[in-house]
Amino acid sequence: MVDVHKAFGEKEVLRGFTLSIRDGETTSVIGGSGSGKSVALKHIVGLLRPDQGDVWVDDQNVSRLDQQSVYHLRRNVGYVFQFAALFDSMTVAENVGLGLKRMDEWEDDRIVERVTECLRLVDLVGFEGRLPSELSGGQKKRAGLARAIATEPKYILYDEPTTGLDPITTAVIDELIVRMSEELGVTGVVITHDMKSAFRISDRVAMLYDGQIRMEGTPDEIRATDDPVVKGFIEGRPELLPEAS
Amino acid sequence: MASPLAPVRSVGRGALRSVAAIGRAGYLGLDALRALRKSDLWAPHLLGQMARIGVDSVPIALFIASFTGIVLALQASYTFTGAVPLYFVGSLVGKTMILELGPVLTGLALSGRVGASIAAEIGTMRVTEQIDALETLAYDPVAYLVVPRVLAGALMFPMIVVLANAIGVLAGWGTAMSLLDMSSAEFEKGLRLFFEPWDLQFSMIKSVTFGMTVTAVGCSFGFHTRGGAEGVGKATTRAVVVSSMIILVLDAFWAAVLLK
Repeated sequence: MVDVHKAFGEKEVLRGFTLSIRDGETTSVIGGSGSGKSVALKHIVGLLRPDQGDVWVDDQNVSRLDQQSVYHLRRNVGYVFQFAALFDSMTVAENVGLGLKRMDEWEDDRIVERVTECLRLVDLVGFEGRLPSELSGGQKKRAGLARAIATEPKYILYDEPTTGLDPITTAVIDELIVRMSEELGVTGVVITHDMKSAFRISDRVAMLYDGQIRMEGTPDEIRATDDPVVKGFIEGRPELLPEAS
Repeated sequence: MASPLAPVRSVGRGALRSVAAIGRAGYLGLDALRALRKSDLWAPHLLGQMARIGVDSVPIALFIASFTGIVLALQASYTFTGAVPLYFVGSLVGKTMILELGPVLTGLALSGRVGASIAAEIGTMRVTEQIDALETLAYDPVAYLVVPRVLAGALMFPMIVVLANAIGVLAGWGTAMSLLDMSSAEFEKGLRLFFEPWDLQFSMIKSVTFGMTVTAVGCSFGFHTRGGAEGVGKATTRAVVVSSMIILVLDAFWAAVLLK
């Protein structure tokens, strides 16, 4: 993403947001609530278009693509939503298989196999026939993750995948994210403000502050920084932030 | 103290919101036209929507039509007593049901039942990011959600209105025979007297546009819902109010254009 600006009415959320994601790595974007992390993520799949700036995926400028090309590009991208965004009227299996039905190369038999395989990966075998309303928060998130990985995407975008989960479920989700990267070579972008998760799963961490990337580096570089904004955020010390003075 | 210009500002804001809503609905309409060619997305859902929008609405439409027919017969008899031959009750019941009350009352009732349901369902999908999820799975949400509903409305409203017209007339007929001093032959004579086949076509034309209005307005307000549960509530209310108003405007428009 290069110099992306995005405003909603009077409120400017992104003000020159620039970030490169390296192939095969997991990059976490951290930042306070309402800082625009999810807004940035939605630009990558063309759910939002920038007011200014460019978003490049696979050498294609997403912000300039027509709708059909955007749909084509999205087949390479899985998206895990903050609250799972499972379709209420569909069972878990139907949710997970929905993306595959849009792909000509997937026949019904293979879709059933793939759905089972994805549910096994997220430890939800046996839940195929359940409706989302019959799942717990953690199960919904895992079903959302299964749906995102079903199409075997090159990239997976995770919007706060562990927010609101208990520590055990958080660890399970973190483990899954790491496996996606290590075993399947998936490139991941994770939006989070859970620092423990961010350091556990990330190859690189970028901090969004005031509409821009304040700092980007490896988890060790982020931990060692003297930048008061980054330090204040990762250590949970609001007195270090400029707003406090 | 409130500024003396506050009412003007409020009206101005309301007008701007209305213009913006019309613009958004226009864009959605264009997207829906373009999405018609994606029949692989909307066709599998058309029958289901026809059942939900059409078949499930039949009981309320027939309930309204039957009581409207009864009241029309009784009011016509009350009005005509001593001045106009009583068989004109059949004319008034038939003409009024087919030309006006069948389509309009059905349209208004279904704007509450169908329009509200569509706005709430799609609005909830919007605020829970289900529509975004559809997009990320390479589904065009307009083709998947809007087109089958609007087509189902356009196809099913006329069928419901045909039934409502028939039940309204039959209820008026039954009332004339049981509560008024009329024979079946007299009612039928009045019914046939001013009947024109064109009346049925007029009723159908109106009901197709009412069906498209109710479903399209419901989809548009649902699609552009913002702000959680409160936003869904507002979108639902607005969808009912706006589609009811458009139905009444269309009613006058078709009368002016087609009944000259």
